[in-house]
Amino acid sequence: MKRDWLFTIGIGFLIALVVMAIIGPMRYDVTKEVGAKFLPPSGAHWLGTDHLGRDVFARLCFGARMSLAIGVSVQVFTIAFGLLIGTAAGYGPKWSGNLLMRFTDAMFAFPDILLAILIMGILRSTHLTWMDSLPKVVSASLPVFGALAVVGWPSMARLIRNQVLSLKEQDFILASRALGAPHSHVVFKHILPHLWGVVLAVAMVGMALVILAEGSLSFLGIGIPPPWPSWGSMINDARSYMASYPWLLVWPCLALSLCVLALNFVGDGLRDRFDPRHAARTDP
Amino acid sequence: MSSAVDTLIAREPSALKPIVRLIFVRLLWSVPTLVFITFLTFLIGELAPGDAATALAGEKASPEAVARLRHSLGLDQPLLVRYGRFVVNACHLDFGQSWFPPYRPVGEIVSEGMGFSQMGLLALAAVFCCAAVWVFVRFLNALKDFRAVFWFGALAVVVVFAWQIAQIAISMPQGRTGPLAIYAILLASAMGVFFGFIAGIWHGKWPDRFATTFSTLGVCIPTFVLAPVLVLIFALKLQVLPDTWVENPKEGVFWYLVLPVLILAMRPAAVITRLTRASMMDVLSQDFIRTASAKGVPFWKVMTKHAFRNSLVTVVTAIGTSFGFLLTGSFILETFFRIPGLGLKSIDAIYQGDFPVIQATVLLFAVLFILVNLLVDLILPLLDPRIRGSAA
Repeated sequence: MKRDWLFTIGIGFLIALVVMAIIGPMRYDVTKEVGAKFLPPSGAHWLGTDHLGRDVFARLCFGARMSLAIGVSVQVFTIAFGLLIGTAAGYGPKWSGNLLMRFTDAMFAFPDILLAILIMGILRSTHLTWMDSLPKVVSASLPVFGALAVVGWPSMARLIRNQVLSLKEQDFILASRALGAPHSHVVFKHILPHLWGVVLAVAMVGMALVILAEGSLSFLGIGIPPPWPSWGSMINDARSYMASYPWLLVWPCLALSLCVLALNFVGDGLRDRFDPRHAARTDP
Repeated sequence: MSSAVDTLIAREPSALKPIVRLIFVRLLWSVPTLVFITFLTFLIGELAPGDAATALAGEKASPEAVARLRHSLGLDQPLLVRYGRFVVNACHLDFGQSWFPPYRPVGEIVSEGMGFSQMGLLALAAVFCCAAVWVFVRFLNALKDFRAVFWFGALAVVVVFAWQIAQIAISMPQGRTGPLAIYAILLASAMGVFFGFIAGIWHGKWPDRFATTFSTLGVCIPTFVLAPVLVLIFALKLQVLPDTWVENPKEGVFWYLVLPVLILAMRPAAVITRLTRASMMDVLSQDFIRTASAKGVPFWKVMTKHAFRNSLVTVVTAIGTSFGFLLTGSFILETFFRIPGLGLKSIDAIYQGDFPVIQATVLLFAVLFILVNLLVDLILPLLDPRIRGSAA
C-alpha cells in the first residue's frame, strides 16, 4: 500500500496539532500585547510577535484550537443530523428520499460561502441570554459553528441516503427481513454498522472543508471575531505587512494548508481501509 | 415485448425528442428550486436587522418618518404578500433599486458585476473559433479542388470576425466575474486535461506522481492562502507582476490578469486533473483498449482516439461543474484583489445590508448554476450515444 505512509504522516501531524492546540497558547495571553511589535523569532517568542506585539506561536496554536474545535463540532453535528435524515430518507418511503434529493439539489445551487455569510449576518446580531453563561470565546464562535453546520449537513445526508439505498438492496438485508427481523433491527444492527467506515472517511475530508470555510469567513472578517485569533484572520492581518514581514503571512498559511492536507490524507487512508474496491481502483 | 421494441425503433430516428424532454423537465424542476432559494434568502433578509425604510430614511430620521416611509413602500404588509410581489417583479426582471446611494437599479449592478456583455462577446468569439476550425477542415479536404478557393475565402472571413469580436471583448473592462471565470476555466481545462491525460498514460510513473501531487495540493490550498503567497512571491519579491488590480490600465491588461486567473484556475485544474486521470485509468483497463493495441493500432492513436475520447464524458462533466463553481464562487479572490465583479459587490452588499442586491445575486447565481449543469447534460449525449436513451 503506497498510501500507508501518507496516512501515518497525516495521523502524526494531526496528533501534533492537537497537542499544540492544547498546550501551545498556555504560555502567553493570545489576545494581549506581550512584547514589542514585529519582534524576530527568539527564545522568548518562538515565531516572533505580530503588528500588535502578540506572540505569533501562541496565536498559531490558538488558531489550531479554534479550527479543530469548529471542524470537529460541525462534523459531529453533520454526522448526527445526516444519519438521522439520510437513513430516514434512504430506508423510509420513496417520497421522503425524493424530498431530500430535491432539497439538497436546491442547497447545491446556493453558493455555500454566500449562505454561510448570510447566516452569520443574522446569528451575529442575535443574542440569547443562555449564551452569557458560556466562556466568551465559545459564545463568540457559536455563530460560525451555526452557519457552517447549516451549510454542511445536506451533502452528508445525501451521501448517507445513497449508501443506505445501495445497502438496502443487498441480500443479507433481505435475508434478515425474511427471518422476521423488524425494521428497527435491520437499521440499527445491519445498516448503521456498515455506514461507519464511509461516514468516517467522508467526515475527515468534510472537516478539511469546514476548516477551509472557517478560514474563508475569518479572512473576510466575519468569522471568529477579534481579538481571538484564527488562521484566516491571521492571514488577513498579515496581508498589510507582507512586504516587510512575510513570515507573519507564511506561518498561518503553512499551518492551514498542512492541516487540510493531513486531513485529506487521513480521509483517503480511511476510505482505502473501509472500501477496498476503491483502493484497488485508484492505487497504482 | 414487441411493443417495447417498436417504441425503441420509433424513438430511434429522432435524437431531438429526448433532448427537448430533458430541457423541459429540468427547467420545470428548477422552478421549485428557485422558489425555495429565493424564499430562504427572503427569510434571512427578514431576520436580519434593518429594512428598506430604515436604510432609505437615513440614520437621523424620526421613527414616525420611518414608519410613514415603511407604509408607503408597502413593507408593513404580510411576508407572503411582499414575497409574492418580489416574485412577480423578478419575473419581469425588475429587482428594485439599491438601498444605498447612488440608488442604482439592482439589475444594472448585477449584470455589470457579472460582465454579461463581455461574456456574450466571448461566447460569440468561441462560436466563430469553432466555425473557423470546421471551415479549416473543409478547406484541407477540398485542397485538390478549385472549391478550395471558396473555403479559403470563408476561412479568412470567419477568422477576421473571430479576431474582431475577441478584440472588442478584450478592450472592455476585464475585472468582472464572467470573463474571469471564462479565462480561468480555459486555463484550468487545458492544464487539468493535459496533466490528467499524461497521468493516465504513465500511470504510476513520474508524470502520474506529479499530476497527483498537483491535484492534491490544488484541492487543499485555498484561495486565501494561494493569493497572498503568490502576490508575495511574484509581485513583491520577484517584482515581475503587478500586486494590485487596476480597473482600466493604459497598457498590459494581460499582466494584471495573470495572477487572478491563475489563482482562480488552480482549484478547478486540480479537480479536472483528478477526474481526467481516474477516467483515463478506468477506460485504459477495459478490453477494447487491449484489443486495439493487440491488432496493431499505434500507441498514440490508442491513447487519443480510443482512450481519451471515451473518457470525455467525465472530463466534460468536471469542466462544467467547475465552471458553475467559478461563476458563483469568486468572492475571496475578488475581495482580495478588490476586483469589481459580482463577488466583491455581493460581499459589500452583505456588509452594508443592501438587501435587493443580495437577493438578486443569489437568484442569478442559482440560475447560472442550474443552466450550466443543464448545458453539461445536453452536451453529454453528443459525446456518448449510450446516454441518449436515458437522457430524461
